Amino acid sequence: MAPAQPRTAESFTYPQSYSFPPFFTLQPNLQTRLSQLRKWSRLIQRYCRHRHVFKLSLVAALDTPLFKNAELRKRLSVNDALQVVDWMTRDEGGRRAEWIDGGVEAKGGTTWVYWKRPEEWAEVIVGWVEDTGQKNTVLTLYELMNGEMTVGQGIVPREKRSKSNAHGMLDFHGMDAELFHRSLAVLVKRGKAQVFGSEDQQGVKFF
Amino acid sequence: MSARRGVGLSAFQNRSSLSTSYATHGASLRSTHLSSLQTQLSVFQSLLHNFALQHADTIKSNPSFRAEFARMCNAIGVDPLAGSNVKGKGAGKGAIGSLWAKVLGGDVNDFYFELAVRVVEVCRGSRGGNGGLLGVEECKEQVKKGRGIGGGMDVSDDDILRAVKSLNPLGSGFSIVTVGSKQMIRSIPKELNTDQSRVLEAIQVLGYVTASMLEDNLGWEHARAETVIEDLLADSLVWVDLQAPEKEYWSPTSMNDFED
Repeated sequence: MAPAQPRTAESFTYPQSYSFPPFFTLQPNLQTRLSQLRKWSRLIQRYCRHRHVFKLSLVAALDTPLFKNAELRKRLSVNDALQVVDWMTRDEGGRRAEWIDGGVEAKGGTTWVYWKRPEEWAEVIVGWVEDTGQKNTVLTLYELMNGEMTVGQGIVPREKRSKSNAHGMLDFHGMDAELFHRSLAVLVKRGKAQVFGSEDQQGVKFF
Repeated sequence: MSARRGVGLSAFQNRSSLSTSYATHGASLRSTHLSSLQTQLSVFQSLLHNFALQHADTIKSNPSFRAEFARMCNAIGVDPLAGSNVKGKGAGKGAIGSLWAKVLGGDVNDFYFELAVRVVEVCRGSRGGNGGLLGVEECKEQVKKGRGIGGGMDVSDDDILRAVKSLNPLGSGFSIVTVGSKQMIRSIPKELNTDQSRVLEAIQVLGYVTASMLEDNLGWEHARAETVIEDLLADSLVWVDLQAPEKEYWSPTSMNDFED
């Protein structure tokens, strides 16, 4: 999967550890490794967030700057990358990733990278609905994800920002459709939204 | 003449009275010196108090000014840190100390204690990745950035050293160790042995080391080099890079992104 173009003009700043050669070798010492896994997890989440990427195919990503520091000529090996992501999927890793289709065993290992988990996305959506007074209005999924009203990052005035959207950015514009559905499902489950309609013409109403 | 020659019996008496008068004269000289020195010192200290009072704001905000000030205090035996809790313990330092805290409203003390808390936070945050050995320099940078409550603090190396020192009474195991040319904060109480220190020094100079580099430069046998490296790895003090022709060992002190 080719990573999408960065949405913002500002370039991604890598953490210092990215210039530290041993960072690209999983450390044998368990304590050191734990700290390393945390650093990798943060880097992956930040990187994906910056590029507005929701899914990562590991095999493809191994050749991107995320896992490969061309300057140092270091790269995280397939196995190590798998271990990092696998750690992210577990509780100790904060469940910041989730394998898609069979996970580690499946070739290519595609994974969700949850820089926001579906529950967190649900909060962002609810926040936006409240901030813009769209409660009890029927909206189509298409306009929510791709429509103009969620474009421009909908900078919400500071005092109106909900906690989960403290930066005031509506990152869900242009979001992965499946993840968007999942996030809505969280709200449906809580009785805060209702989704209806057929495949292409789905609508949603927020309560 | 005869008296000076002192050959008679009375000479004994003369001699002893002479030495007593020398002794009393010496004692009186000493005591005048002492009292004049004490006056000088107390004058100086009171001037210092006034100075501190006048420049309290600068002391708090300007790190290099603060360092010079602290140095001056040390030189005349006033420790800005000590004595805030020692209330009039003897007429000497204790009294000065408590007065000190009174004059400054405990500000200087608070400053260092607050800083110490930050230092502890930074050390803890990075402990997993660096085995509890953090450069004073790096710690300073991190405190300046100040992710914690209240934003960053503008501090000098000297301030960090003092703050770590102020933790001593807590028996917290925080200490300053010197590795090569660098001062580092040790937040996990464990001694480095000579070999370990030498390897860390070598890493400071060369950037990284390999077993054979240690053998060549320090004249160690292979087994010795391997053992020391294993120990350092086990303590999280070095990280290994397996993607090099020979295993390279790096010190994580050069890598300082902290987990929030």
